[in-house]
Amino acid sequence: MIAARIAIAAALLAVPAGLTGAWVRSADTRLTELSKAPVELAPVASASDVGYCSPELKRILRRVLMSCGLVGGNAARGCQPVQARSVATMSGHDFNALFKPMQDRGGIVQFDQDRSEVDAADIALVDQVFADQRGASWFFVVARASPEGSAEHNRELSRQRAEAVMAHLRQQFKDPDLDKEVGMLWLGEEYAQLEAEFCAWKRSSTAACNTDQLNRSAFVAWIDCQL
Amino acid sequence: MRRSRPWLLVVLVGAVLGVVFAAVSTYDFVQHLDRQVHNLHCSFLPGVSHSGESGCQVAMMSPYSSVLRGRIWGGVPISLPALSVFAFLVFYALDLALTRRKADPRATGFLALAAVLPALASLVMLLISLTQLGTTCKLCVCIYVASALCLVGGVALWRQAVGGRGEPAPARRRRHSEPRGEPAFVGRGHRDPEPRDATRATTGSDARLVALSGGGASAGFLAAAFAIGVGFVAVPVALYLAMAPDHARFIGSCEGLLHPEDPYGVMLRVDRASHDGVPAPAIEVLDPLCPACKAFEHRLAASGLAGRLDRKAVLFPLDSACNWMVTEATHPGACTVSEAALCAGDKAPDVIAWAFEHGEQVRDAARSDPAAAARLVKQRFPELASCVGSPEARSRLNKSLRWIVANNLRVLTPQLFIDKVKLCDEDVDLGLEYTLSAMLARHARGALAVVPAEKPAPGKPAGKAP
Repeated sequence: MIAARIAIAAALLAVPAGLTGAWVRSADTRLTELSKAPVELAPVASASDVGYCSPELKRILRRVLMSCGLVGGNAARGCQPVQARSVATMSGHDFNALFKPMQDRGGIVQFDQDRSEVDAADIALVDQVFADQRGASWFFVVARASPEGSAEHNRELSRQRAEAVMAHLRQQFKDPDLDKEVGMLWLGEEYAQLEAEFCAWKRSSTAACNTDQLNRSAFVAWIDCQL
Repeated sequence: MRRSRPWLLVVLVGAVLGVVFAAVSTYDFVQHLDRQVHNLHCSFLPGVSHSGESGCQVAMMSPYSSVLRGRIWGGVPISLPALSVFAFLVFYALDLALTRRKADPRATGFLALAAVLPALASLVMLLISLTQLGTTCKLCVCIYVASALCLVGGVALWRQAVGGRGEPAPARRRRHSEPRGEPAFVGRGHRDPEPRDATRATTGSDARLVALSGGGASAGFLAAAFAIGVGFVAVPVALYLAMAPDHARFIGSCEGLLHPEDPYGVMLRVDRASHDGVPAPAIEVLDPLCPACKAFEHRLAASGLAGRLDRKAVLFPLDSACNWMVTEATHPGACTVSEAALCAGDKAPDVIAWAFEHGEQVRDAARSDPAAAARLVKQRFPELASCVGSPEARSRLNKSLRWIVANNLRVLTPQLFIDKVKLCDEDVDLGLEYTLSAMLARHARGALAVVPAEKPAPGKPAGKAP
């Protein structure tokens, strides 16, 4: 009788003790094995690099960004038409074509003739586009002028338009990264004039669109490419 | 003459059921010691597994599922002592049957008392489930039922024994006195069977047998039974404590913060907890509509360690409306709520607390109508109406996301960093108290640092936010 009772006690004690021991040992073994195995982790956060960021676009983007003072430690800020043309090494039409995939990420801030002040509608568009940064790393401000007037005057006018947009961004967003992520180009009337198809983009003017009006502008867009 | 009911069998059945369900529950808990995510056996049928969120998942991940959490990773699951107690009840019930003590008021009284323990524990756990967790777990319910069976059977058996003791005993004159000096527990089996058999032949009743034996189990018998019961609990628990894997080696092995500074001013206070002593600097990456973040917040509060952290939050909404790193709105409306928190400034803890409380409602509303989250936020916090959705708020939230990118963090919430060292993703639930306590202790000694892991640490499946 005693032996039977001891056996029962031992058998029943072995249930929690034995099972626990076996399960803990098994978990420990798995833990050791898993510690040695390559693991699948959640992806690492990164900036956007979307489909249109072809190697060719990135190459040109890098050259433009370096020449225009955003990357590479160049102290100069902004590119003039001659620089833009030389670093892009492409026709104005091809240069504009680079930006076409960014239609839903950009807008065209339209200025009055021979003016470089931003009005409320311009500010609203700039704010709307800039606030929608998402994962983009670069913000381009590409200012132009319509062909009226001299090339020098228009070059200066387009620079003032780009600066006006930049000044507003500085004042509105107080973003410490602004100088590292906003690239300015002022193209005057000399290079990469916008064609009529850009009338379909978001614009700050509701007036009828023609190419002269379209080029009294600063094109703004986020570019979702990593370099 | 009263008909004897099989209450001992009721106890036995309840105890066996308790063993089975407590074993399944213990197994579910123990398998998580490998730091992986496992399916749970959350069913009224033992062995049927269940994946995803369930009452069992909530109960197991809650701070109430185990004890000694600060001493050992995950703590000792309370289902383990439950398993032990039920195993003891099986043993004791069998022993009563073998030694024919089911009519012994003292021996059965001890059984009833022993059955009170799991019943009381079940009652407490049921109350916790209903009041604290807001859910019940099927496996736990099975254990509650098993406990109830044991208690009902034990008490009824005892009452039957007490009642039987008062019955007339024709053979009382043949009374046997308790032998003195014999071994207290197992020694009871040595009684000379001859008189008992003779009595049984006369009465056919164990009650009369006990009456003949002069009042039932001795104090020594009861003490021995108690000691054996303690042994049933102590041995498996000691074994568990001795064998549990060492998780301290993973501390600091799960990356760290490259740039903990806050150049964009996007860090928010996440709680209003008062601090104990000099708190350790902590940064929590969270999504205000993430259920896992809410659960983590509750676990952290329950751990009692929140007061030792000077905690700031960086918002990381897993919502494709603003977060380009996720392909869909895992938590719809999280971008809007995050903007509200950023707009709220000093009142950010209020917004985050509201979001945790009403997260499900906001997510459900935003899933069918993306503008619903903004409506709900503005309804609750009208003072933020002009800020939420503004370019400034959107830009600031974007900077919060870019802080995540700058630190090369995983697309996952929640994440907690103590002085730049990450609390591993595997340690945010069961292992929270143990790991966080250890990290805080190391921080206090100046010894907390990111350590390069020789081998990759185990991780959870990629791309899936909890």
